[in-house]
Amino acid sequence: MIEIKRFGDQGLLVNFEQKIDPAINDKVIALSEAVRTQFSAAIRFVIPAYCSLTIQYDPGLVSFQVLSSHIHRLFKKGKGDQARKTRHLVVPVCYDPVFGLDIEDFCQTKAWETAELIRRHVEPLYRVYMLGFLPGFVYMGKLPETLQCKRRSTPRLRVPERSVAIAGAQTGIYPSEAPGGWHIIGRTPLALMRPQEEEGFLFKAGDQVQFKSITLEQYQEIEVQVEQGLYVLETSYV
Amino acid sequence: MSRELKLHIIKPGLFTTVQDQGRPGYQAFGVPISGALDQKSAAVGNLLVNNSAQTPVLEITMMGPTIQFEGVGWIAITGANLSPSLNGVPCQQYQTLAVNSGDTLKFGRPIDGCRAYLAVAGEWILPKWLGSYSAITQNGAQLTPASILTKGQIITITSSTPTSRTWPVEGRLSGAGTSPIRVLPGPEFESFSRFNIGSFFSQTFTISPDSNRMGYRLKECLSSFKPEKELISSGVIPGTIQVTGAGQPILLLADAQTTGGYYRLANVVGKDMDVIAQLKPGDQIRFALLLDKAGDEGISASV
Repeated sequence: MIEIKRFGDQGLLVNFEQKIDPAINDKVIALSEAVRTQFSAAIRFVIPAYCSLTIQYDPGLVSFQVLSSHIHRLFKKGKGDQARKTRHLVVPVCYDPVFGLDIEDFCQTKAWETAELIRRHVEPLYRVYMLGFLPGFVYMGKLPETLQCKRRSTPRLRVPERSVAIAGAQTGIYPSEAPGGWHIIGRTPLALMRPQEEEGFLFKAGDQVQFKSITLEQYQEIEVQVEQGLYVLETSYV
Repeated sequence: MSRELKLHIIKPGLFTTVQDQGRPGYQAFGVPISGALDQKSAAVGNLLVNNSAQTPVLEITMMGPTIQFEGVGWIAITGANLSPSLNGVPCQQYQTLAVNSGDTLKFGRPIDGCRAYLAVAGEWILPKWLGSYSAITQNGAQLTPASILTKGQIITITSSTPTSRTWPVEGRLSGAGTSPIRVLPGPEFESFSRFNIGSFFSQTFTISPDSNRMGYRLKECLSSFKPEKELISSGVIPGTIQVTGAGQPILLLADAQTTGGYYRLANVVGKDMDVIAQLKPGDQIRFALLLDKAGDEGISASV
């Protein structure tokens, strides 16, 4: 079921069942693609999120009524249920405390060795639910319950770029240096964003991510390869 | 015939950025829309110097820059009146002006409005990011470094010669912020109590000093606002008025994040965003609810 609401005089919001759920997020992404394909230049932009889709349109080309009735039709036709192949990415992360600024404190509260946190963090397959907060910031879930935590009481003014972090039931990666309240547990040598390239974003909503723990030496090797454009990201379609 | 005009930035001013129509289309990747906050003033500036609507302009905030020109070219200054002067002589706004090597453009006391726009005839030689010249607020130094003016910077423009024009006085910026800003109900409008909604539309709000191109914080809080539950992060757009858990309304602007988790009370209609752009910290603002029907075809389309 979806509910469509007016969102400003040139926008609308499609609300799905308000739940963080891969099947619902699949429908959000598929509907967002279907709307863009159908209305092309009449759509200024879309913001697919966990369980909602924000659309801003050109009111000179299409009205709220036309757009919303068509969205209902697209949704009923099951445009959200098409089987699409999921992109699966293996993302190397170095959990060394040099990068994982909060890893030791976090493990202390749990009476864990850091290896225990690493084991638990690399274990699940994560889904990229959405990008937001900063250009290229990825929201992934769901974090195993044992890793779920509140945000830091005092946010950091500068979280280093490429930091891998956890908060709530989510894990994420900071694409660039930014203020942030998530707990930093490691860093990836990958570039999430190549500023001067048109399609320069590594992740997109719907991707599947498997983290892989790497050593400091491996981090440095991969970092050089990434800079030289030689690193081949492990990618498959499932 | 084309030639070059160089803008030597002697002083960058309080906050001067390069802006255009922004980068709509990349919001699914978390990229803010950006672009000139007062789109109309920017467009009029470009029109006065015969530029296409996509040409960037300088957005000048409150305290303007000092710019020395090298070469021959044409400029126009629109938007806020920040007391511009050319070689020490006050200069006209909303008019095509010739500049020559050695001429110096300065700004003085802010008289009316918050943001002035400097349009320069010709093609700007600057790097783009994702199809736009616009500076962004967060990570701007990393992602759009050439678009946030710094001392000593030189901007080169392949200048062209426009027809000299003056914009009619009636069409210029005047006394922003006198009539209420028109809004439509936001996605969570119904989650606010009648008391909160009543006070939102009867109260006068003050723009807090803690405001920037991402958003204006409003000083007066909606007392007794209690969010019923935590929202799952969802899209926000320029013009969204979101209310924090403490009841503080924040009016989002072009550089805002693309998603947020606060209750979205209302949305300013597109056409009134140009008026909002000219409000400065300390200025007052009132809101009026637009009847639903009137928003059907987009206020900004029905000029």
